[in-house]
Amino acid sequence: MSERQRPGREQPRQHEQHEQHEQHEQHGNEDSAHVATTQTPLTGPGSAATSPVGNGAGTGTRFTRILGALTLVAMGVLALFALVISPPDVVQGETVRILYAHVGTVWVAYLAFVVTAVSSAAYLWKRTSSLTWDRIAGASAEIGVLFMAITLLTGSLWGRITWGTFWVWDARVTTTAFLFITYIGYLAVRGLGGTHQQRARRSAVVALLAVLEIPLVHFSVRIWRSVHQDASVATGNTDVKLDDTMLFTLLLATVAFSMLYVWYVLHRQRVLHLQDLLDDKGLDLALAERRSEGRPDASAAAPTTAASTPTATVSAASTVPTKDPVS
Amino acid sequence: MNDTASPASGSPASGSPASGSPAAASIWRTARLVAGKDLRIERRSRVIVNQVLPFASLVMVLFAFALDNDEVLQRTAPGLVWLATIFALLVVVQRAFAVETADGALDALRVAGVSPPGIFLGKSLALAVQLLVLELLLIGLAVVLYEATLTATGAVLLVTTLLPATTGLAFVGTLYGGLAAGARGRETLLPLLLFPVVAPVLIGATRATEAAFGVGHAAIDEGWPWVGMLLVFAALFGVGGTLAFGPLIEE
Amino acid sequence: MDHAGFIFASYIAAFGGSAALAWYVVRRGRALGRQLPDEDKPWI
Repeated sequence: MSERQRPGREQPRQHEQHEQHEQHEQHGNEDSAHVATTQTPLTGPGSAATSPVGNGAGTGTRFTRILGALTLVAMGVLALFALVISPPDVVQGETVRILYAHVGTVWVAYLAFVVTAVSSAAYLWKRTSSLTWDRIAGASAEIGVLFMAITLLTGSLWGRITWGTFWVWDARVTTTAFLFITYIGYLAVRGLGGTHQQRARRSAVVALLAVLEIPLVHFSVRIWRSVHQDASVATGNTDVKLDDTMLFTLLLATVAFSMLYVWYVLHRQRVLHLQDLLDDKGLDLALAERRSEGRPDASAAAPTTAASTPTATVSAASTVPTKDPVS
Repeated sequence: MNDTASPASGSPASGSPASGSPAAASIWRTARLVAGKDLRIERRSRVIVNQVLPFASLVMVLFAFALDNDEVLQRTAPGLVWLATIFALLVVVQRAFAVETADGALDALRVAGVSPPGIFLGKSLALAVQLLVLELLLIGLAVVLYEATLTATGAVLLVTTLLPATTGLAFVGTLYGGLAAGARGRETLLPLLLFPVVAPVLIGATRATEAAFGVGHAAIDEGWPWVGMLLVFAALFGVGGTLAFGPLIEE
Repeated sequence: MDHAGFIFASYIAAFGGSAALAWYVVRRGRALGRQLPDEDKPWI
């Protein structure tokens, strides 16, 4: 794991050019050669500023479009079932409707964090090491954090009605909150900058440490609460007797949010891919391109003046450590 | 290593692991040297003694201002001791890695081929020693300021609690401190990463200390299971940190 | 419907949050996709 030259990285995939570039950096080649390699695609099709390089294709494919449409339909049907068709619960009344959103999102959030952990392990394992795993881990954690936030919100709203309190120091609730905070930290670690490999390695370690941390938190909170036998509002009166329609709605919620999860991770992982690629290619193309959007004839003079824009500073800061003398 | 001008310049020798001795012995040797270096830096600079210990004492006084009730203070003394410890932990960890990153010493150690597990264990050891001094001071303050009472058997439990709790805190602190140090000047991230992880220590150590202080009619026996939990925590993060520290500081 | 405010707040959060994230990622993908040639998009 601590070896700098990974055997598994000797054959970079054809289309992921930037991974080759990163490899050059890692092997300590001279910067000029590296810059030259990255610049070739820019100067290839003529002046980048005058002619747009891409044809505007985003991160969608036929598959994601179909999946997206199906997700929309599923969400619509879910809203219909959850809010209108499904009957109120015998004990909880209408309040049970909150639980469909709650259970659907919490399921996806936990799934997302499992995927993050597995992809992080896959990144750290030499034989499968690829930045794609890192991007999947990151994309998965993002939607996990969002769904965790929704889970906590819907859960506390439900708790306010059912238990009379927004928050209960129950082991499950507390662990979920810790999970939420931990993955916010994980996303912050991803934003620290450095090379893509640095980001990937750091965040993968943090994701795997979270796997260590969460059971410990859960376990300690559980025995802590079992010592203090007070505030046990969460007993008895909250049982839900599910009839078939309710069960179907619950299942539908899980499926619909899972579809959204897959759709999001596919898109986001591609966006992160493009982002990494752009970081590698340097700022010149991006800036010239951005300028040409407004004024088609503003060409080559761009880089010097453009270096003062915020994007330039950010990207420059993130590319500086790649020239670290020690690596 | 050289640009820190620290006397631990013997460590490059330990950087050649294949010198006949088993790898474990080499790691321990590195750990001892790194810990010795850190403690020597502290002995000469006295940052912990002159700044962190007064800060932690101040926190204890501020707790008293905030809670403003002798009974409540006595009841919450164990929790406040550990809360102050964790706040101070943050400062100590940042100090421990400011020493390393200031002159690129961590990079130098890595380039010199010093084994990351050795660095991890060494820094954890130094951190644990510093934290232990801090905790003893805070417990003394709790006895003086918050009227916490300590019997002989309670003291045995307390000392037994301190050791695994401190070790666990030191492991976690070193691990995440190394992470934040690698990121150059993003120390604001450290509390966000560190505090969720040390929550089990806060829970476990506070319950055990409550039993030791006899707060809220807690019997001494109630403390021992928590000591077990603290041991598990320390062991897990000791192993996890030893494995993870290499990929973390490697750049 | 009892507690309609709480129930609707839950669903607005769930659907609204999801929609906002989805909208963001599509927009970001288009913005970045415009700056790169299609050879750099292995999914196409």
